Amino acid sequence: MPVNNKLSVIEPGYDDIPKNSLRRMGKSVRIGMGVALAVIKQVPVFNGIIIGTGNGGMEDSIIFLKQVVEYNEGLLTPAHFVQSTSNAVASQLSLASVNRGYNITHVHRGLAFEMAAIDAAMRLLENPEHCFLLGGVDEISGYNYRLEYLDGWYKKEDALIEDLYNTNTPGTIAGEGAVAMMVSNEKENAAARVLSIVTLHSSDPIEVQQHLLDFLEQHNGLDISLLLSGENGDNRTLHFYENAEKLIKNGIPVARFKHMCGEYPTASSFALWLACKLIAGEPLPAHMLKKGDPRAAHKNILIYNCHKNLQHSFIFVSAAD
Amino acid sequence: MSRVLITGIGVISAIGWSAAENHIALKNGACGIGLPGYLHSRYAETFPAGEVKITTEELKSKLGLTDASVTRTTALAVHAFNEAISDAALTSNQLTSGSTALIGATTVGGMCLTDELYRDANAVSTDSPFLASYDCSSVFLYVQRHYNIKGLVNTINTACSSSANAIGYGARLIKLGLANKAIVGGAESLSKFTVNGFNALHILSPEICRPFDANRKGLNLGEGAAFLVLEREEDVIGKKVYAEVKGYGNASDAFHSSSLSDDGEGPYAAMQGALASAKLQAADIDFINAHGTATENNDQVEGKAMLRIFSKPPPFASTKSNTGHTLGASGAIEAVYSIFNIANQEIYPALNFTNIDESIGLTPAGVYKKAAIKNVMSNSFGFGGNCTSLIFSKA
Repeated sequence: MPVNNKLSVIEPGYDDIPKNSLRRMGKSVRIGMGVALAVIKQVPVFNGIIIGTGNGGMEDSIIFLKQVVEYNEGLLTPAHFVQSTSNAVASQLSLASVNRGYNITHVHRGLAFEMAAIDAAMRLLENPEHCFLLGGVDEISGYNYRLEYLDGWYKKEDALIEDLYNTNTPGTIAGEGAVAMMVSNEKENAAARVLSIVTLHSSDPIEVQQHLLDFLEQHNGLDISLLLSGENGDNRTLHFYENAEKLIKNGIPVARFKHMCGEYPTASSFALWLACKLIAGEPLPAHMLKKGDPRAAHKNILIYNCHKNLQHSFIFVSAAD
Repeated sequence: MSRVLITGIGVISAIGWSAAENHIALKNGACGIGLPGYLHSRYAETFPAGEVKITTEELKSKLGLTDASVTRTTALAVHAFNEAISDAALTSNQLTSGSTALIGATTVGGMCLTDELYRDANAVSTDSPFLASYDCSSVFLYVQRHYNIKGLVNTINTACSSSANAIGYGARLIKLGLANKAIVGGAESLSKFTVNGFNALHILSPEICRPFDANRKGLNLGEGAAFLVLEREEDVIGKKVYAEVKGYGNASDAFHSSSLSDDGEGPYAAMQGALASAKLQAADIDFINAHGTATENNDQVEGKAMLRIFSKPPPFASTKSNTGHTLGASGAIEAVYSIFNIANQEIYPALNFTNIDESIGLTPAGVYKKAAIKNVMSNSFGFGGNCTSLIFSKA
């Protein structure tokens, strides 16, 4: 449930992380490590770590900055500065798993996860036998929430989850999350297959529509069974999502996910995680369904997400076979 | 798979406002490091840095950037970007084509506005124009908007290897047919935030830095920006070509968040990876633009890793004693310098090296000279163990 319009993660006990390391970690590193180590336990041999994060490190940056200002640049401890770098999740993970392979962090805000996913896809084209840890991580962070709130991205009024999509007011609720997955060319036992990722920077609804039309044409052969929409209750960006709904074939169900995870730059990674669950056969929860008949099987899912009225992504996910 | 060729370069640093100026400065062994005059920090009186000698307001004014939200980092990026796209003679259609990618990198982003960020992050209300300007992506989101870039746009932050990885990402997009052109690079500005962070780690030198020298005392920070325009071989008929992006290696040192392992596993693997991807042997490398930050740890480890790969290391130098360590921009700035080696068939003197460090056993290039340069390796090793190595070759 959101508190003060923030949907925070419920953190598990982290059995895989030594207590004294855990104590020193910023939240994004902690939650990123938590999910990634769980995945690595299942697939212990892998060739690299590819992370997308929009806000990773922001909280520690601002904590360090606070020390700089309040101590008038006196001698400080470097702990928060070192944790403040965006690549802290990826590098701490490489330390914890002793992985000396490819390691990179993409920080392009609402497309950070997509850029990481495209990087993973490129690595697999370059090295077909490899597999990579791909993740999307973001934390709310007290300071960062304030900045985003002042910039008008969150609801001014308290929002109830049940009413999020009906508020007809600007802004959304803040979210956070960490998603990790192992990606490879191996079809056997794969949760899903990511067929295509297309991204666009535009605030022009006509341009976005055209891009989606082109994308749908490219994948003409595929039978979309579900549109997983990043609609988030912000009435200023609703039109993008409604346009997308109009472009897919009539009767195709539309589901929403931001009431579960809140809005954050790498929320599309949460959508991908959800898509994998649905493709595996989990029934679509009623609270996610916006319209249409939920079919028994969701084999081909189109994820459409728009971040802050500018960054758009279309991700096509299907069953692995 | 297409060869990836470099058709345009742009750079601004403490040693010059353009590629031509930077080139002359390197030839002449010019050092742009000194006590900063524009950085608002008490450490401006203590630690020399490679500063671009202009206020942010003047730079913005020169570039015609009237948007209040534009930060120093973004202004430096725009300056170098302008030069690169003009140098590559990109048409407006090419610049805004859906197959032209923009891959940028920075570590400080808009946090150069240290005091403003502090105020805004604690504010109850504000009319600050910077609310969306603090993160790394703000720099390249501005470039995207300003130039109407419609292809793939990305921002990378892997500390000091950021823009080297940006070059790698752009080159791979082209090689794999996901883009036809890529404008790749990075930008970084001096900031209270960074100088305090590095001071807390005790790795700043109170003197001008001495890469690989026995008496080195740490690094000097620097600022600047650089971009390269990358194109497919089949698209550059009739255009001038500087060099080819031939190899890219990326590996994690997986040792510690702010220092490298004794044997330099990460640097070693990154360099090996670059050679393998270029299908070259160590002996094919004619010059190395070293990471060479002049910290005790980096130069020691880098030297060791070099000797593990190169039984007879080629001439090498760190240009950080010319420009300071430009962090997120260093990969791109030093890529441009590597291109100078190739385009002009010459090597530049390493500055401020006097005494060999016996425990490293390596001496950087001492004088300017003409040389047959076919392949240059450029290394960038960042905090968190992010090690990247690029190889540029005569096209």
